[in-house]
Amino acid sequence: MNATSEAPLLTLDDLRVDFHTPTGIVNTVRGLSFTLGRERLGIVGESGSGKSMTGRAILDLIPHPGVVNAKRMEFRGKDLTTMDKASRRKLRGRHISMVMQDPKFSLNPVQAVGDQIAEAYRVHHKASAREAKERSLSMLEAVQIREPGRVYDLYPHEVSGGMGQRVMIAMMLIAEPEILIADEPTSALDVTVQLQVLKILDDLVTSRGMGLIFISHDLHLVRSFCDRVIVMYGGKALETLPAGELDRAQHPYTRGLLGCLPDLDHPREKLATLTRDPAWLA
Amino acid sequence: MSTNSAISVDKLNVSFGDSHVVKDLSFAVAPGESYGIVGESGSGKSTVLRVLAGLNRDWSGEVDILGKRQPKLRDKAFYRAAQMVFQDPFGSLHPKKTVDDTLAEPLAIHGISDAEAKISRAMQDVGLPTSFRFRYPHQLSGGQRQRVAIARALVLEPTILLLDEPTSALDVSIQAEVLNLLQALRHERKLTYILVSHDLAVVGHMCERLLVMQFGRGVEEMTAATLAARAPQTAYAQQLLTASEGFRRAG
Repeated sequence: MNATSEAPLLTLDDLRVDFHTPTGIVNTVRGLSFTLGRERLGIVGESGSGKSMTGRAILDLIPHPGVVNAKRMEFRGKDLTTMDKASRRKLRGRHISMVMQDPKFSLNPVQAVGDQIAEAYRVHHKASAREAKERSLSMLEAVQIREPGRVYDLYPHEVSGGMGQRVMIAMMLIAEPEILIADEPTSALDVTVQLQVLKILDDLVTSRGMGLIFISHDLHLVRSFCDRVIVMYGGKALETLPAGELDRAQHPYTRGLLGCLPDLDHPREKLATLTRDPAWLA
Repeated sequence: MSTNSAISVDKLNVSFGDSHVVKDLSFAVAPGESYGIVGESGSGKSTVLRVLAGLNRDWSGEVDILGKRQPKLRDKAFYRAAQMVFQDPFGSLHPKKTVDDTLAEPLAIHGISDAEAKISRAMQDVGLPTSFRFRYPHQLSGGQRQRVAIARALVLEPTILLLDEPTSALDVSIQAEVLNLLQALRHERKLTYILVSHDLAVVGHMCERLLVMQFGRGVEEMTAATLAARAPQTAYAQQLLTASEGFRRAG
């Protein structure tokens, strides 16, 4: 996977997300810049680091009173900062889409899961109901659901967490987007199910040549799954490095994060704790 | 089951309606030991803890805690000896009660005098500044809340702490602080722990022995050394261990 050989899918320069609250301005993302090629880019950080806000800003899903500013925000050469709401909406789902954390809250509880996938397809493509259904069934198969015909008619409460997450992935990928943003797509799942879902995501991303932004708090997972990792803290990217070289991270925050994880191979009486340096945010 | 264990469970069965969630489970924990229970969701690990804590009264089998056969309905003395810390500090603290109220309640229930000193001591033990005493939960961070939950459990000076995923709702850096605190308290006070978790690394760090559960059954009991050597006997334990090592790309 060589990201540098072609034009990037997404370019962000100095992204800022500010919330104007009655008690003052809260800066959730402060000057984040990166480019995304056809690769798996991980964004890790603790709660409040701005990782989810970054994903939402790209999709224009920042709620009021949030304001997004960027020097440059381009999707395949198209300037997103000057684009009107309607055009942004057209990109969303069709060209850039997002898988959320918890299928329990992200699926419509009163519609069969198959119909929700079909709807996602018909919103973006001119297709008959029958064609959309056929495509949905084959998409369910692509995410390795064994009996697509049966699962198609199930409601969200009738499917397990892992299956629900696969349905979500099917729904997001049916429009064949170029960029998929996955916001903690597996944190609500058990470890063994988590790996199955990642495998599916990985296969689909590789076979379709998509760019994947994988947002997670789990350093181990990102290290083993992504090509490149951005470490965020307090709305800033402190460090960007190849996932395989995470062990050789330079920044004290990244090192601190890695150090405070319990490790079966290096048992210690006391875990290291993190001392946060206000200078990191300066 | 040896008679000198702090906790011993023999042929425990729990059913909710038609679903049989804990099946013939037996294990024993020595005094001062830290024992882990791991498994995926629905394996019954939290249910076992709730039975031990007296929160679930619908079970059969034998439960002995500190040498006493436990009835379904526990007496006051039991709750002075065993306390529980829950997973989510955002849900387990009363939102309209200050830290002081939360810590004073168990003392009032048990008619313990000298509450004033006991509360300050409990807060000190978990590393909360006394200035936090009259704060509400919403004025505390996740890690601070979990410290309050631990202080609430410790204020009665129990010998057994039942820990249900005490750090899974917390960031890793906060997790390290809470785990260090739990380790230190255990050594200082010779506490017995049962730690339920889905995170094998956390259990390996905190416990001497652990039990792997699947579908309500104990699949395998092993020592932390066996876990660290990646040498469990059963296929399921092995699979769980492999899965927790992260993603591996085929080829």
